[in-house]
Amino acid sequence: MQLLAYLGRRLLFVAPQLVGILLVSFFLLKLIPGDPAVMMLGPFATDDGLARLRAELGLDRSLLEQFLIYLGNVLQGDLGTSWQTTLPVTTDLAQRFPATLELVTLALLLALAIGVPLGVAGARYKKGLLRTTADYYGLFAGALPDFWFGLVLIFLFYTTWALVPAPLGRLDFVILPPPEITGSLLIDSTLAGNWQALRNAAGHLVLPVLTLGLINAGPILKMTQSTMERMLESDFSRYAEMCGLPERVVARKALRNALPSVVTIVSVLYGFLIGGAVLVEIVFSWGGAGQYAVGGVLNADLNPVMGFVLYSAILSLVIYLIVDLIYFAIDPRTR
Amino acid sequence: MALLTVQGLVQHFPVAGSRKVVAAVNSVSFDLEPGETLALVGESGSGKTTIGRCVLGLIRPTGGLIRYRDVEMGGRRTVRSPELRGKLQLVFQEPAESLDPRQRLYEQIDEPLRALGVNRADREKRVRAAAARVGLREAMLGLYPAEISMGLQQRVGIARAMISEPEIVVLDEPTSALDPTARAEIIDLLIRIQRDLGTAYLFISHDLSAVRQISHRVAVLYLGMIVEQGPAAKLFARPSHPYSVGLLSAVLLPNPTIRRESRISLAGEIPSPIDLPKACYLASRCPMVEERCRTRMPEVETVEPGHLVRCYRHEEVVRDGDAVDYFARFQAEAERILGAGMPPQVSTGQPMNESERGNVDHG
Amino acid sequence: MSDRQPQDPVIALEGLTVAFPRYGGEPVRVLKGIDLALAPGEVVGVVGESGSGKTMLARAIMRLVPRPGRIEAGRISFDGRDMGQLDGEALRRLRGRDIAMIIANPRSELDPLETVGQQIGNVLRHHLTLDKPAIRARSLELLRQVSIPDPERRINAYPHELSGGMAQRVVMAIALACQPRFIISDDATSGLDVTVQAQVLELMRKLVVERGTSLLFITRDIGITAHFCDRVAVLFAGEIVEIGPRHAFFADPKHPYAILLLAAYAQNERLRRYWLGDTTAGAAEGPATTGCPFARRCVRAQDRCRTEHPRLEEMAPGHFARCHFPVER
Repeated sequence: MQLLAYLGRRLLFVAPQLVGILLVSFFLLKLIPGDPAVMMLGPFATDDGLARLRAELGLDRSLLEQFLIYLGNVLQGDLGTSWQTTLPVTTDLAQRFPATLELVTLALLLALAIGVPLGVAGARYKKGLLRTTADYYGLFAGALPDFWFGLVLIFLFYTTWALVPAPLGRLDFVILPPPEITGSLLIDSTLAGNWQALRNAAGHLVLPVLTLGLINAGPILKMTQSTMERMLESDFSRYAEMCGLPERVVARKALRNALPSVVTIVSVLYGFLIGGAVLVEIVFSWGGAGQYAVGGVLNADLNPVMGFVLYSAILSLVIYLIVDLIYFAIDPRTR
Repeated sequence: MALLTVQGLVQHFPVAGSRKVVAAVNSVSFDLEPGETLALVGESGSGKTTIGRCVLGLIRPTGGLIRYRDVEMGGRRTVRSPELRGKLQLVFQEPAESLDPRQRLYEQIDEPLRALGVNRADREKRVRAAAARVGLREAMLGLYPAEISMGLQQRVGIARAMISEPEIVVLDEPTSALDPTARAEIIDLLIRIQRDLGTAYLFISHDLSAVRQISHRVAVLYLGMIVEQGPAAKLFARPSHPYSVGLLSAVLLPNPTIRRESRISLAGEIPSPIDLPKACYLASRCPMVEERCRTRMPEVETVEPGHLVRCYRHEEVVRDGDAVDYFARFQAEAERILGAGMPPQVSTGQPMNESERGNVDHG
Repeated sequence: MSDRQPQDPVIALEGLTVAFPRYGGEPVRVLKGIDLALAPGEVVGVVGESGSGKTMLARAIMRLVPRPGRIEAGRISFDGRDMGQLDGEALRRLRGRDIAMIIANPRSELDPLETVGQQIGNVLRHHLTLDKPAIRARSLELLRQVSIPDPERRINAYPHELSGGMAQRVVMAIALACQPRFIISDDATSGLDVTVQAQVLELMRKLVVERGTSLLFITRDIGITAHFCDRVAVLFAGEIVEIGPRHAFFADPKHPYAILLLAAYAQNERLRRYWLGDTTAGAAEGPATTGCPFARRCVRAQDRCRTEHPRLEEMAPGHFARCHFPVER
């Protein structure tokens, strides 16, 4: 009951939050110099033609008017068209957002699978191989740029050993993609029973997931280790030790108490990587959402950028809601 | 005329996400004379800290009147308003938390004076005098709070409170976090300062032996209501409210032969201040409870002038009690036992007037 | 162990010394040659101020001295067995089962994410290997023993839903879970209101006496020990400076530091001034390293005190003090 009331209160704020985010990003984007009309018509456009196009795009109106028109369109589900792809932004994002989501989700799962156990081990053992590994891992993961690491992986696994398909997109050109249901190629091809596509898509995912996963395991490891250390030194762990509970039980209690911090860092990374994975997406020609948005910014193509901002904002809100639900499940004090 | 008058003070805090309130203070009245110590005694949840905050104007009371020097407090007239600045001060329970860890002790003591706009030369003189008064050596003034013991930190807190020469100091559990020896030193210090400067103290504490030493009058609080109030010596010798008796017999003085044995022992714990009992607040824990205690709140009755109690059966409480001030008895025993090891020239010295404390009659 | 006598001590400390290494110097000894033995059913109070080593005493007996500290010398025997000979696993089995702990601030020492039932159950499961229904039955019984009202409901409560007094009772229930021979209470009642403290102490005393459990009651409140303990020991700078039967100790305290602790409660200013010394000096200088550690603060100190470390000597039957010039009455 309490949970429902809480969710209701949260959802109430979603709409104003989204409008606020759109407003701020709209005006920030308008601050970037660049005239879409010039970009679209090229260097030989006439002044007359430019003026006509500007009027058509609504660029001759005041900024506020432009924003209100945009907002009105958004409410009707129209995010405008990208002049680069000449497709509606919704269509473009429907293709690209799932690509990024699939990549980032798998990468974070990998990062969790590496970071949490190593972090726990690093906190439990004051010395030894695991502790040393944890220390150096955190250091290297923090120091390596992800795109460079991606290039090294391509050089080794594709160029040298040819173990994976070419780093060009999500699927080889010769492979017929499965009918789109969820947008995730792994899930869709499994649903369609298209094993060839599944294998190929998985092959394409290996390197970018490794790149992002291995790098982002660093912050997860650091957070797990430091919180876990604090929990192992806390009063309740000391008391559990004095009650003669086995060390693994004490560690399990500490980990449970450390989980909220881990969940927090994962949620922050998730929101960040939706746009922040862009360099890795470029390296692997992934055709993801980040790549799409950056293209928009560079070419004064605002609709894709705004669409990306809107989608990311909604996704972030959903993630934070899930995080709250997880806290709710873990910690009785929040109930 | 009393220095401070509190009449029918009520403080309710709303509970987040509900229409209920935490009834922290429920119609409390008392006054404080210049130079006297009134102790507000009670356990956690008794509202004693909240009363202190209200007196300082740090929170706005839900109801009731607080008059300082016959002028009403509240609205814009708080401890922060210009004409009252420095007149009312506060000493906290946790000395470390009330001090800025990144400021030298000198600056901490000096700060209230800077706020008052005192010139530099005067400030310096007064800071040094205040430090000497609380027993801080000159060399210590350059240190940071973390470099000194908790007892010394509390001395800094007291020096800081006293530097503006306040008329009233609210002492919020100033000894509770301290080791016994530091506690004894702080009590000594507070008594000495009051004797020298005539400051009035509102001494908030659950430490009854400290209360016995420092207070002239005592008000016993239970669930935000004063259940008994009177001169310290009288109240400690003849507690008239079952809760006072329970509180006093729970005190364990360091002498195995001295303890108030009483047939009144309180069961259970203090109820939630959200759902207050309908009649006498102690009814759920009191061994002497009767039907009327559960149906109607007893009125305040006067045992003798200045000694008030809120209990239907207070005469029985006194009759069944043994009318002994165990603190006084303990003191006599302590003097006998501990005096034995003292060299004669010390033990035959001038008797101090401290034994008078608690017997002072403020009319 | 058939040759053991019923009055043989349950736990005996002999010359227990705990040291923390210090870079480029002598290690800091937080406990120095503690000798202490508790008979079955005996309650011994240990009084000390912060820094006296009283918490370290509890941890050393549990063999849980925090790194980098270590037990440098001495022997702890439990039931006649030298605990130093036991391996980590055997020690763990001893903790919580034969030697239990009652701690201060139970609300922060209980796991905030587990219910009362789970926390009692943990101890029962790992030490007694009971099955689920048996654990529940025993947990409810324990909650009833520590006078928790409505145990069926409270067994599902989380620590933050308990009052300080209730949480303290839960910790007592956990301590009693495996019917230990020996319980250490470390400042256990310090956070409680006085009326609740009185209830908890009475309960603790009753449970200990009923079962013949020995109790080491570590506290900074000398008042509690006067009414609650069979014997009282005073700890100063890691040493026992006085120990004696309760009535003898309070009627005839011998060591100036013990007297100082008592004088802290005296109202007579002459007494306090004399025994507590010059208040402006404070204890800022810390204990002396040669001679008697208390010499710097002692009103009775003489030259001998600054050079020669006093031994713990018997002043009256069972009443020992570590002082060259004990107070005579």
